[in-house]
Amino acid sequence: MFDLELGPLGSASVFLAFGLAVYGAVAGIVGAARRDARLQTSARLAAVAGFILATAAVVVMQAALLTNDFSVTYVAGHSRIASPTWVKVVTMWAALEGSILLWSWLLTGYTALLAVTAPLSPLRPYAISIMQAVQVFFLGVLAFIANPFKVVPLPPLDGPGPNELLQNHWMMAVHPLLMYLGFVGLTVPFAYAMAALITRRPGTEWMAQTRRWTLTGWGFLSGAIVAGGWWSYEVLGWGGYWAWDPVENVSFMPWLTATAFIHSVQVQERRRMLKPWNVLLIVTTFSLSILGTFLTRSGVVSSVHAFGNGPVGPAFLVFFLLVTLTAFGLLALRWDDVRDRADLDSIVSREGSFLGVNILFVTLTAAVLLGTLFPLIVEAFTGDKVTVGAPFFDQTTLPLWLLVLALMGIGPLLPWRRAEQQRLARNLALLTGALVVSGALAWLLGVHKVYPALTVALAGYNLMSLYLLLSGALVPRLRLANRGALHVLRSYAVESRRRVGSMIVHFAVVIVAVGVAFSSGYRVDEQIRLDFGSSAEFSGYTLTAVDRFMERTPARISAGAVIEVTRGGRPVTTLRPRLNLFGEAGRTVPTPAVYYTATHDLYLNLNSSVGPDTTFVVLRVVKSPLVTWIWVGGAILLFGTAYSLGGGRRPATARAVAGEKPEGAPA
Amino acid sequence: MKLRRIALIAVVVAAIGALFAFGLLRGNPDDRNITSNLIGKPAPTFALPLYERYWPDYGETFSLQAHVGRPLVINFWASWCLPCYEEAPVLQQAWQTYGPQGVQFVGIQTQDRDKRDEGRTFIARFNLGFPNVLDNDSLVGVDWALYGVPETFFVDASGKVVAKHIGPVTAAVLDQQLGALLR
Amino acid sequence: MRRVATLTRALLAAAALALATLAGAQDVTAAPSVQIGSRAFDISRNLRCPVCTSESVADSSAEIAQQMRSLIQEKIDEGLSDAQIYAFFQARYGDWILLDPPKRGVHLLVWLLPVLVGATAIVVVVGMTRRWLAAAAKAEPANPADLERVRAALADAAANPDQRDTGDATGEDG
Repeated sequence: MFDLELGPLGSASVFLAFGLAVYGAVAGIVGAARRDARLQTSARLAAVAGFILATAAVVVMQAALLTNDFSVTYVAGHSRIASPTWVKVVTMWAALEGSILLWSWLLTGYTALLAVTAPLSPLRPYAISIMQAVQVFFLGVLAFIANPFKVVPLPPLDGPGPNELLQNHWMMAVHPLLMYLGFVGLTVPFAYAMAALITRRPGTEWMAQTRRWTLTGWGFLSGAIVAGGWWSYEVLGWGGYWAWDPVENVSFMPWLTATAFIHSVQVQERRRMLKPWNVLLIVTTFSLSILGTFLTRSGVVSSVHAFGNGPVGPAFLVFFLLVTLTAFGLLALRWDDVRDRADLDSIVSREGSFLGVNILFVTLTAAVLLGTLFPLIVEAFTGDKVTVGAPFFDQTTLPLWLLVLALMGIGPLLPWRRAEQQRLARNLALLTGALVVSGALAWLLGVHKVYPALTVALAGYNLMSLYLLLSGALVPRLRLANRGALHVLRSYAVESRRRVGSMIVHFAVVIVAVGVAFSSGYRVDEQIRLDFGSSAEFSGYTLTAVDRFMERTPARISAGAVIEVTRGGRPVTTLRPRLNLFGEAGRTVPTPAVYYTATHDLYLNLNSSVGPDTTFVVLRVVKSPLVTWIWVGGAILLFGTAYSLGGGRRPATARAVAGEKPEGAPA
Repeated sequence: MKLRRIALIAVVVAAIGALFAFGLLRGNPDDRNITSNLIGKPAPTFALPLYERYWPDYGETFSLQAHVGRPLVINFWASWCLPCYEEAPVLQQAWQTYGPQGVQFVGIQTQDRDKRDEGRTFIARFNLGFPNVLDNDSLVGVDWALYGVPETFFVDASGKVVAKHIGPVTAAVLDQQLGALLR
Repeated sequence: MRRVATLTRALLAAAALALATLAGAQDVTAAPSVQIGSRAFDISRNLRCPVCTSESVADSSAEIAQQMRSLIQEKIDEGLSDAQIYAFFQARYGDWILLDPPKRGVHLLVWLLPVLVGATAIVVVVGMTRRWLAAAAKAEPANPADLERVRAALADAAANPDQRDTGDATGEDG
């Protein structure tokens, strides 16, 4: 019949989706204002249709990538015939335009899901419209500023392929996906918060309806941060996972404010307090996710991972300013409806500890934000260039992290309203005991650096806190139920998913904290030269350069060294650090080899080239203790988040039996 | 009250917007246009091996100390650096103009370990008449607080560094700086 | 066997050619001769790689970063203290080279600002808390009969959870 041209097909889908987003945003708001149910329904239908069209655009992009259709700009600029299939699929989010396509697609998906599943409420039409207004921006950028489907008049025979660092590890398939799922997930509570302001219903309704979305978004963002750290570790070759690079910081800041938010909303749910503050937090979270995209896509702050310049940066800046102005302006307009008329019995209470969480996380966000922007601020005022690097962020945030750990232990043990003196004293004594004992134990075992030692002490303190929480919940149940401990534990875990989930997450945070403290405090770095056939000692290991090797796949050439690792004469493992070269025009990427163990990792990176005449290699060798526990902790954290979300709505009987009282609350 | 609050928000948002707009208009943040600590200080000295073609005129080693007393142009380059290819003919041209007037040019190949063949090819390609040396371990580059290549320093007759140019040098820059030094 | 060996050699040569030509291009470099110890890496972690964008000398694989690590090791071997080594680079590159901003001049501001934000947050929260505490103190204590009625209503609500709409009374804490 006629040739199916992918470029125009993709463009058409994007344009239509854009049109539907505009229609839905307007129709939803007009429909809600006029209480016109038909108009509201048509806006919801537009949300579903928008998702179908965005899906079509994604399918077209995938088809173009997989069939090497270089008449599509994005494919010509970022794909390569020789790449393996998974790389081609992932190439969709390896560069700017494609990642905006992914973001838009997920956004339309969430909006459609919301349109279909959200319970009928006065907030719903506004919330969906606000989601669609956000879509208007993203799809608008896609359609008019960074269209990946533009047709190349003279298509090249092959393309350069995606960034070498990105195709060097499968984690690249996961990390951006998780991050955008997180950002998009946190757009839902933002939309509902705005809807709550518009409709003057700033109560708990908007957060009750978005609790799952918020927690899901937070979970994905947490996963993205841990996954990003692991990607850095496996790819970048310096043996670390977090460098406080601006790109890392801007994805971290929304996580910080979102973390404050998921804690702070509980105060509002329980005590009707902090209404304006919670709106502020979710608005800030959303703004920061847009700001982050602006900062990293515009070259305003220098970063290793920046995507480069272009008109997309200014568009994100305008959108960021618009969102900030609208949201804060709306909050100011509705101030009289939102203002707290709260009371507080005692600062030593659950709500008091949540106030502490807010202070800590706001200060953390401020430190990261100011550190990231400080060079820009100084340059704007004085023209001087200054440097703010990782040591600054470490020194400013470490004391705050320790305080977070301290608060994490005591907070959940405090009841709402006010703490009962006797019980509080007992709990504090036990917590302090655990703190001192584990700190002293760490010291005796040779942990003489301040931060790791304090982290161990606080870890012990937190484990005691978790024990107290669990026993406080289980002991009365055991007495009542008259059944086996395992049965009671199981039924408690099923009934109180939210509580148990939070305990799992807090436990995971302790594990991550210990991993971070030790891997950064006790890491050993060396660079050694090894002639082939000779050995060198490193931290109890003997490394022997046995041979060099070369591998070739259609996508890449690898050359590296075969290093035999022995300990006390016994063979441990064989590591193959290498250099990868993707395509002729590409650049070589050193690829480290890691020997993972529970107590420490041995990390080898090649710092010299390897060829047929090579007689020696230069290796960067790193031993970092307990680093694996960061990834394990990350996985546990995700499990905990999922656990607290899982199981659907609890049966009414379970809720009645559970008693709904925090431990130690006055009856 | 409401209006005042909204005005306050608008002012704050505008200030943030202005800061980022400055960031956008400033251009590439990688421009390391940082005032060098060296300006006004005595030029760090060095003695580095010359490429063979300069041996007849300068000997095997080029020592900066021996040339103090004349205006100096010190240019850092590398064989892998594209802008260096852009500026090499400009430098050769200027050398032909200012060399006879008493200005000494010297090219330093840096951040280019063991790339002697590439260095020779680079020099031959532009037929560089002024002496060129290899800073094999890049330490002279560190002494001169190099950020990247190419960078060009101007030293006056008393041996003080008077100016630094980052990026490919142009005829206009050379004329301006050397005009001032020769006056 | 011979043919395999020749082929391997040819492939290695091709790879080496490709890798060797790229080796100078700031990615992977030829071998610096010195062994570098942990202390040199610790120092270089606080120094900015001059040719990179926001990477430390320890983290970067750029040639100048490798050379600087070697230089730091040499300085250590010469018996210089950490402070002397930082001063060596600072004398040349200025404060810009220090990833750990010195606590003076304009840099002082970046250290003070987060403290200022934290202090402000504490002051604001304390101010609000006082107001709330005062509000709670003013509130009259509930009389026992009212309390009983509220309890009964709560129990009722817990038994019929579908009727709740605000969700705060039965909301679980976590």
